[in-house]
Amino acid sequence: MRFLLTIIMSVMLAVMSLSATTAQEADAFRQVLSDNYKLIQRSSTKTVSPVLEAIQNTNFQGAAEFLDKWQEKELWFRKSDNAFVYVETDDKKTYRLLDVVDGTGLGEVPKKEIKQIKPNSGVRGLLAARLVQFQLTDPDVEVRRKSLESINRDPKLEHLEALRIAIEKETDAGLLAEFARIERILTIKFDEDPAARIEALNSFSGALSIDVRASLNLLLTTKLAVAKTLPEDINIARVIVPDQTGVNPDGSAFRLHGLLDMGGDQTELTRDAAYDMLVKANLAPATIDPAARKEILIANIEDGKIGKLNVSELDSDEARDSAYSDLVLLGKAEAFLTEDEQDQLISEHIFYASYVETNQEVTDVAREVLNDINASVTLNQFFDLALDGISLASIYFLAAIGLAITFGVMRVINMAHGEFIMMGAYSGYVVQQIVPNYTISIIIGIPVAFMVTFAAGVLMERLVIRHLYNRPLETLLATFGISIALQQLAKNIFGTQARPLTAPDWLDGAWVINDVVSISWIRIAIFVLGILFFCMILFVLNKTRLGLETRAVTQNPRMAASMGIDPDKINMLTFGLGCGIAGIAGVAIGLFAKVTSELGNDYIVQSFMTVVVGGVGNIWGTLAGATMIGFLQKIIEYFNPSNTLAAQTYMIIFIIIFIQFRPRGLIALKGRAAEA
Amino acid sequence: MQDAVLTKFLLRHPSVLVFLGMLAVFTIGVTVLSEGFGIGVVSTSLVKTLGKTLCLALAAIAMDLVWGYCGILSLGHFAFFGLGGYMIGMWLMYARTELIVLKANAAAALPLTPQELSDAIGVQIFGVVGGSEFPAIWAFSDSFILQLLLVVLVPGILALVFGWLAFRSRVTGVYLSILTQAMTLALALYLFQNDSGLRGNNGLSGLQNLPGLEETSQADVSLWFFWGSAFALGVCYVIAKLIVESKLGNVIRAIRDDESRVRFLGYNVEGYKLFVFVITAIMAAIAGAIYYPQAGIINPAELAPIASIYLAVWVAIGGRGCLYGAVIGAIFVSLLSSFFTGGQIPNISLGFYTIQWVDWWLVLLGLSFVLATLYAPKGLGGLVDKFKKA
Amino acid sequence: MSSLLNVNGISVSFDGFKAINDLSFEIAENELRAIIGPNGAGKSTFMDIVTGKTRPDMGDVIWGEKNVSLIKKSESDIARLGIGRKFQRPTVFEDQTVEDNLMMALRNDRAPFAVLFYKFSNDDKQKVVELAENIGLSDEIDRIAGELSHGQKQWLEIGMLLAQEPRLLLVDEPAAGMTKQERNKTVELLKKMAQNHAVVVVEHDMEFIRDLDCKVTVLHEGSVLAEGSLEQVIENQDVIDVYLGR
Repeated sequence: MRFLLTIIMSVMLAVMSLSATTAQEADAFRQVLSDNYKLIQRSSTKTVSPVLEAIQNTNFQGAAEFLDKWQEKELWFRKSDNAFVYVETDDKKTYRLLDVVDGTGLGEVPKKEIKQIKPNSGVRGLLAARLVQFQLTDPDVEVRRKSLESINRDPKLEHLEALRIAIEKETDAGLLAEFARIERILTIKFDEDPAARIEALNSFSGALSIDVRASLNLLLTTKLAVAKTLPEDINIARVIVPDQTGVNPDGSAFRLHGLLDMGGDQTELTRDAAYDMLVKANLAPATIDPAARKEILIANIEDGKIGKLNVSELDSDEARDSAYSDLVLLGKAEAFLTEDEQDQLISEHIFYASYVETNQEVTDVAREVLNDINASVTLNQFFDLALDGISLASIYFLAAIGLAITFGVMRVINMAHGEFIMMGAYSGYVVQQIVPNYTISIIIGIPVAFMVTFAAGVLMERLVIRHLYNRPLETLLATFGISIALQQLAKNIFGTQARPLTAPDWLDGAWVINDVVSISWIRIAIFVLGILFFCMILFVLNKTRLGLETRAVTQNPRMAASMGIDPDKINMLTFGLGCGIAGIAGVAIGLFAKVTSELGNDYIVQSFMTVVVGGVGNIWGTLAGATMIGFLQKIIEYFNPSNTLAAQTYMIIFIIIFIQFRPRGLIALKGRAAEA
Repeated sequence: MQDAVLTKFLLRHPSVLVFLGMLAVFTIGVTVLSEGFGIGVVSTSLVKTLGKTLCLALAAIAMDLVWGYCGILSLGHFAFFGLGGYMIGMWLMYARTELIVLKANAAAALPLTPQELSDAIGVQIFGVVGGSEFPAIWAFSDSFILQLLLVVLVPGILALVFGWLAFRSRVTGVYLSILTQAMTLALALYLFQNDSGLRGNNGLSGLQNLPGLEETSQADVSLWFFWGSAFALGVCYVIAKLIVESKLGNVIRAIRDDESRVRFLGYNVEGYKLFVFVITAIMAAIAGAIYYPQAGIINPAELAPIASIYLAVWVAIGGRGCLYGAVIGAIFVSLLSSFFTGGQIPNISLGFYTIQWVDWWLVLLGLSFVLATLYAPKGLGGLVDKFKKA
Repeated sequence: MSSLLNVNGISVSFDGFKAINDLSFEIAENELRAIIGPNGAGKSTFMDIVTGKTRPDMGDVIWGEKNVSLIKKSESDIARLGIGRKFQRPTVFEDQTVEDNLMMALRNDRAPFAVLFYKFSNDDKQKVVELAENIGLSDEIDRIAGELSHGQKQWLEIGMLLAQEPRLLLVDEPAAGMTKQERNKTVELLKKMAQNHAVVVVEHDMEFIRDLDCKVTVLHEGSVLAEGSLEQVIENQDVIDVYLGR
């Protein structure tokens, strides 16, 4: 109790001392304003600086607001006593005056008694810079952080000075590092001293953040140009040979040959573009493109003829060429250079890219640092790819693990497996409609989904599957019938529109490791769930009575029956377990995918692939299969990121070929057990 | 000589004659009742539906041959069907667009160069996917004959390569089914891409308009295709019957029942499977090439794995290992399906809920399919046989 | 007498278990041979290797006058070279008639197109009738094989083997599940076959082997334990140890 009192007392004391200093500062501020009212009312870039300095030195809280209003032309003064005021008005006739220091009302006056202060643009610039300084030294850490961020978004020369001043005053260690970093980015951009820029550049070696990379790329911006000889007074990045592909790290051009030459997009400067540059630089006569040539030909048709040729003959490029050259000879059209002559001209000129930045030393260092950064970006991208692979693998694993039991262990092919996933997802959705708290609803939803799908699985086993043991093709077709019935049923109940299964807030967002590597929390949760399931199923199959009996029943039902195991019951429970797990997987998948009646369709083929590739009858195999397929798909996507459809196509083709070499999957049972 | 063999064969198997006779009667009946050449009782759209149904029956015969007789439950034969449709669709689309472009340029001052023509057609065809260049796979699309050859070659070679890979490594049973399903999925996903060269998910459209026959009414064209479908069905039925009644028929049924025993008899099982797989893939492709000009449009969704499973469903309901069973199954289920989903069957009002067949038909189909598998494994054809014996 | 089949030091193991261990075996033209051995001695695996179903890890299998190695060949190639196999369970094609079963087994071109355009000639018909007579199924020739009794199926399978006109027959437990009468008939059939084929019979039933009256090879743990006439083999101390336990 006394402890609490002490705290309250000390807080009160602190507040009191704070207000005391504020009062002092307010007086000082008022003093500065009245001392310098003329300079403020008629400000100029030459005279305003000392005033601003003085205002800042008062340390008054409202000074920033004052500068802001001043800059925005919202500062007025009363003509009678030159006191500065803020104003409010409803009708633009009478104005309510507010004190600039404490905001107290000073009564209403007609417009003619006050005057607006309109600083010129130079002053406004100075004010803005000073404001930044204010914000950067604001007592509130959040304000400082925000202002730093806004500088980083749109850096300007004047920020650099403010930043350097503010750094000295910064006390928060975390923010200080950010201050230093942005100061260096600005140094690279604006500092006049090359040595300082190079020092700043070197400090970024290996840095991954996007803003650094952007500022380096900006520094290394090039523009294309053409000349008869290479000029010496500019910062040349590289010489370009038209129609050559790619750029080496040292800036020289190279060309990819054969299979490696994927598409022509990489050509830096095509031959046609090079000629256009020549034309623009007035170094070559303009070309006449086919469309323009056609226009000229049409304009010269006389009696169905152009020159000696009939119009109907002009159905090929060669014929049009010859008709056009006839026109040129007749002086009715302008000559243009042949391709060979154009090529000749192109080869007589030199094409080059030059840096916008003129200091060669700076660009050299920048390029070096950027290469260094790119190397570490590649490394991190690889790491990110691995994370993506793991997360996709865990999704496949979750989708397939129920099948690993029903198909893998029991050898029952259940084409409705996907629909059990869907059923689980819809169960989660229904629970969420009843229980609004997302966290609790997920906690309830998982067991509910399990129970619903377990019950449905048991029902299906009793009614259909058990009549079809050892008739795999019939099972496939019958379960497919169930699959279409369930899908349509879900459509009838829930509609065709996607239903949201919302993740709790704490699963929102991503774990950001750096600007390259990040992974969303949902995916981490799915990974954890996958691991949990894996351990649980290993445990159930290998360490429990149910698992033992399941294995006995699958391997030799008659022998198992003679030992007192009820194969009917075991089959029923095992099938139910497989379906129940599919249901839980459905809840997990529903958290990141849209819940529709076709949800299962998207996973059924991949799930079977996972089990087959991994090796039937083995949970480890399913894990291996999911890992392989997940990583493979991500790697293929990495090479062609825009096209996930193509990635899936190639992956399936790969799997078909893979099965050629390992028909029994990655982790195969050998010997007689496998023959069955 | 050849005729003599055929006559003898037909005499030995009167069921073929019965089938061909029924098909002929049906064809003539529809023609007489049609709008095009008859009294106009049967609408043009119904003629198209019937023609398409005959094509589906042909695909079902192929499926029955590969599954019912050879025991390979392929979940990829509808993909071959769709590929056949794509191949003929390429020519139809190219040739018709070419005519349109030429017509549009008829009044132009200068005749088109080959490049300009191809560019103009390209813009028309590939504009929807933001392209204008002809992909390499369209190289033969200006030639009807070559593209007809591709109808046979493309699905045939795909089946050959896939079958060779799968059978060589002795993938059998459900594993093979899953693998074929994966193949189908891969193909469908590939076609869904915009840069597949086949207009992505837009597919090929306007296929019902035959190039050069704009003046002919759809009522006539639909009948031509109906006859074509009936003819193809008849020919392929006879071919399929010849195959299953030959010694090769004995061997593939033996493979279905005990593959390894056939091997020890000295037969190269893989070769036989491959033969049947490729032959049936080609049959399915031909069916598709006649089907899609009647449907008017083909898109990748048609090739989705589920379509191939439906094909298996028809055959299972009709009766495996029985050619007319497959035909009955395909016709019965697909016509029933179009009646139910087309609103021809009245909805049932339960007072508190109205059963709308558009929504409930699939549930009914799925469940009846489960029942058929459980209680009538030989399908409708099996019921016919039972009836004959009784 | 030159050997028809020569098995040279083959070994094969499944998951570390040596099913066949350095096994050598030889059989001459027109020889009748019985192989006996306890369960797991490797009898079936031995047959699997000779017929191409299983590939040995080591060793070689040499066939015929031209000394063809069999270990790289497929099952169907080996069958066409002239090795026929009869399984333990009767495996005939139950959906098809006795005639069709035999017709398929007849020694003819087995390429798919040849088979597609095959005509069941009068010669071949005659052959099928003779075969049916041989195996005592003349009256059943138009029946569906699935309707035959167990013994009849066994004979049909033997008939199919004969139709293949092999030079070597591998017969796995032909007498299993037969009545006394059927068994006697089977013994006769096998002896008759051995007049112009080499025949290897794998069997458990000592009575049956005694009736066959031929050279016997005893397998144990994947290799040959003893070889000789039945009397010699029964006297052999190793064999007694294995069968009666040490």
